[in-house]
Amino acid sequence: MNAVAAPAGRPLVVALAGNPNAGKTTLFNALTGLRQKVANYPGVTVEKKSGRCHAPGGDVDVIDLPGAYSLVANSPDEAVTAAILTGQRADTPAPDAIVAVVDASNLSRNLFLVSQLIELGRPLVIALTMVDVAARRGQPIDAPALARALGVPVVPVTGHRRHGVDRLLVALHQAVVAPTPVWPLPEALWEEAHELSRSIADLPEPLRVAAARRLLAGESGGDLAAVERQPAVVAALARSRARLHNLGIDAMQADIEARYRWIDGVVGGVRGERPVGRTLSERVDAVLLHPVAGLGVFALIMFALFMTLFAYVGPLVDGIDAIVGWLQAEVGDAMSAGPLRDLVVDGVIAGVGSVIVFVPQIALLYLFLAALEDSGYLARAAFLMDRVLAGVGLHGKSFIPLLSSFACAIPGIMAARTIERARDRLATILVAPFMSCSARLPVYLLVIGAFLAGQSAWIQALAMLGCYVLGILAAVGTALAFKLMGAKRERAQAFVLELPTYKAPQPSLVARQMWTNTAQFLTKAGTTIFCLSVLLWAMAYYPRAPQERVDAAMARAEAEVRASPPADVDAAVERAREHAAGHAQLEHSVAGRIGHAIEPVIAPLGFEWKIGVGLIGAFAAREVFNATLGIIYAVGDPGAGDDDDEIAANEDRLVTALRADRRDDGSPVWTPLVAVSLLAWFVLAMQCISTTAVVRRETGGWTVPLIQLAYMNALAWAVCFAIYQVGSRIWGG
Amino acid sequence: MSTSTVMRDAVFGDHGTRSATLDRLPDGERARVVAIGGEAAVRRRLLEMGLCAGTTVTAVRRAPLADPIEFEVRGYHLSLRSAQAALIVVAPE
Repeated sequence: MNAVAAPAGRPLVVALAGNPNAGKTTLFNALTGLRQKVANYPGVTVEKKSGRCHAPGGDVDVIDLPGAYSLVANSPDEAVTAAILTGQRADTPAPDAIVAVVDASNLSRNLFLVSQLIELGRPLVIALTMVDVAARRGQPIDAPALARALGVPVVPVTGHRRHGVDRLLVALHQAVVAPTPVWPLPEALWEEAHELSRSIADLPEPLRVAAARRLLAGESGGDLAAVERQPAVVAALARSRARLHNLGIDAMQADIEARYRWIDGVVGGVRGERPVGRTLSERVDAVLLHPVAGLGVFALIMFALFMTLFAYVGPLVDGIDAIVGWLQAEVGDAMSAGPLRDLVVDGVIAGVGSVIVFVPQIALLYLFLAALEDSGYLARAAFLMDRVLAGVGLHGKSFIPLLSSFACAIPGIMAARTIERARDRLATILVAPFMSCSARLPVYLLVIGAFLAGQSAWIQALAMLGCYVLGILAAVGTALAFKLMGAKRERAQAFVLELPTYKAPQPSLVARQMWTNTAQFLTKAGTTIFCLSVLLWAMAYYPRAPQERVDAAMARAEAEVRASPPADVDAAVERAREHAAGHAQLEHSVAGRIGHAIEPVIAPLGFEWKIGVGLIGAFAAREVFNATLGIIYAVGDPGAGDDDDEIAANEDRLVTALRADRRDDGSPVWTPLVAVSLLAWFVLAMQCISTTAVVRRETGGWTVPLIQLAYMNALAWAVCFAIYQVGSRIWGG
Repeated sequence: MSTSTVMRDAVFGDHGTRSATLDRLPDGERARVVAIGGEAAVRRRLLEMGLCAGTTVTAVRRAPLADPIEFEVRGYHLSLRSAQAALIVVAPE
């Protein structure tokens, strides 16, 4: 037995490979503790987890590979795993040794991946997890016998209790290259494999037959890419395939079935068989997957999730707002007035606030998501919901991301990471922002309250419901279109959803998931959101309006107040002057000018330039629309105020100003039709830089967010155009 | 000629009669896999998950709208959309 040694000067590199749900993450955490790095593989949105641990034979760098059922990839996760194990990724060194994490309670299927790992010709150790679960099922695994059968060390481990972890650390240095099993293949296939291997010149002798067999079985790319391009191999492969075809042998099926025949032999020799009744997990599923009871429990869990994100998160968000506001006041007092103070207070501090305001929702969503995933329920939720979502080209696992998006698209889009299939994940990310998020609610309320106030209560309720339904319809239509565009590729992708054995979620694992995902949001998406927020602030701040213009506006406002003096005239004058200054500055700024400049584009939708300025402001966050309107109408921020009375008064003033606003020809700027058009705009348009930043991060590039931005805004424009143009012809505006 | 290939040609060929497929297996019943159809990538994944010729599969239950379907195979639980279960030809045990 040759001990594995790292080349001098660097630690041993060990990769953890295993099926999803085999307990890989738990083992990784037990091995590396807090010495972990979580990043992303460049170019793909697959998490890269690595960490260092101290083993008796020297330091070891552990890479936790994404879960894989097979090295012939069916998802981006599996592709990364296969590429690293075969040394095909430039950014990650090929491991010196592989730890195959094998679930003892699901031995047969877990050994399939092992049958492929053996052929990589790298030193191997088996970490056998869930030994206790297997024993409870009456199928105890004889680890020493398994080690003899496979020819590599086998160490039973219980990651969350650290049982066996120290033995595994010792065994890492005893990893050996497993002897390649003699697969029970049809004789003709062996002959063809040997025949083909003679054409493969540039691989070491022992690997040639395996490569030939894999080529015959239809594998390509990856470590075979160099081999399969050689003209001699191409010709020999075609001849071999033709001969096998004439014999009626399907090489792919024969190869996989041979591995399973070998596995059946191994399992038969190491697994005890003692009949037991239904497992606990199966009894739980009889309830949780029951057509009535199961859907009831599902609805309760989803309700709790939704209420947490939508309502219970409120005090935390308010708390953050209060802290940011306090900080702005303190810093504002400490600094002398001027552009620097405004940059720090309104640009930087507010920008940081606009990032951390998402933290409670993201952290709480991940609390739910990690607990649901670790317990095994996430797969059940997908099972229950798949039919409904598959009908429109989504996946059962799209449900939680879409539900979360009704609170906020940002945690929703992040939750789409749980979807393994790349296309389903992309479709979910594309349609998630159509769900009416809680930031749209203040806008809906303002617009409906101001312009449908004369209508009966049920019309108002209908308008509100209509906003939500319109968003869902847009999502369904978009998902269906996306499905039709990729119908062919869709048929070529398998839907296999494993329903893993239930287990109690581990608090440490859940906490870690919550922390790493929140931290990643802050460092990756957060920086983009922050920069864009500061940019938007600058757009409303620069260029500065000339002082004489501001003074004139303030004087006019003061004169107006004094013409019909209210009770507290000094306060009213003070307020009016302040609002007039804000208005003058915003109108003079880049944002104000853009609002004017885009008027020809938005006029056919019924929107006048002041709405345009509001729409620009809404890019920071949709609810900022209300605040921007307040400034542009010179009535102050409707949401600001020291108490509820003041806020209500501010809102009343804005509603009054909106209703009173007239175009040059004397017709009202805001009609019920404009209100409906504006509501449709807010439902459909992508005008949230934070969402765009997160989509960029989650899809690994600017392509998807920019397509989404263009698509959603074009759709919103077309729908609002239709509403306003058709509506104004019928009702005359 | 291997049995599985003969069966596949018989079932998915132009003149074969259609026999039982996994999507029609009633809940609680067991059957043996005979052949797997569909596109190469899908067939491969189903085989890799352990649905080989000769493997015993039990239909456990259907989701509320009858799709997907939960199966037990090789001691673990797997769900397949019925369109994919329909690619798997089975025979009574």
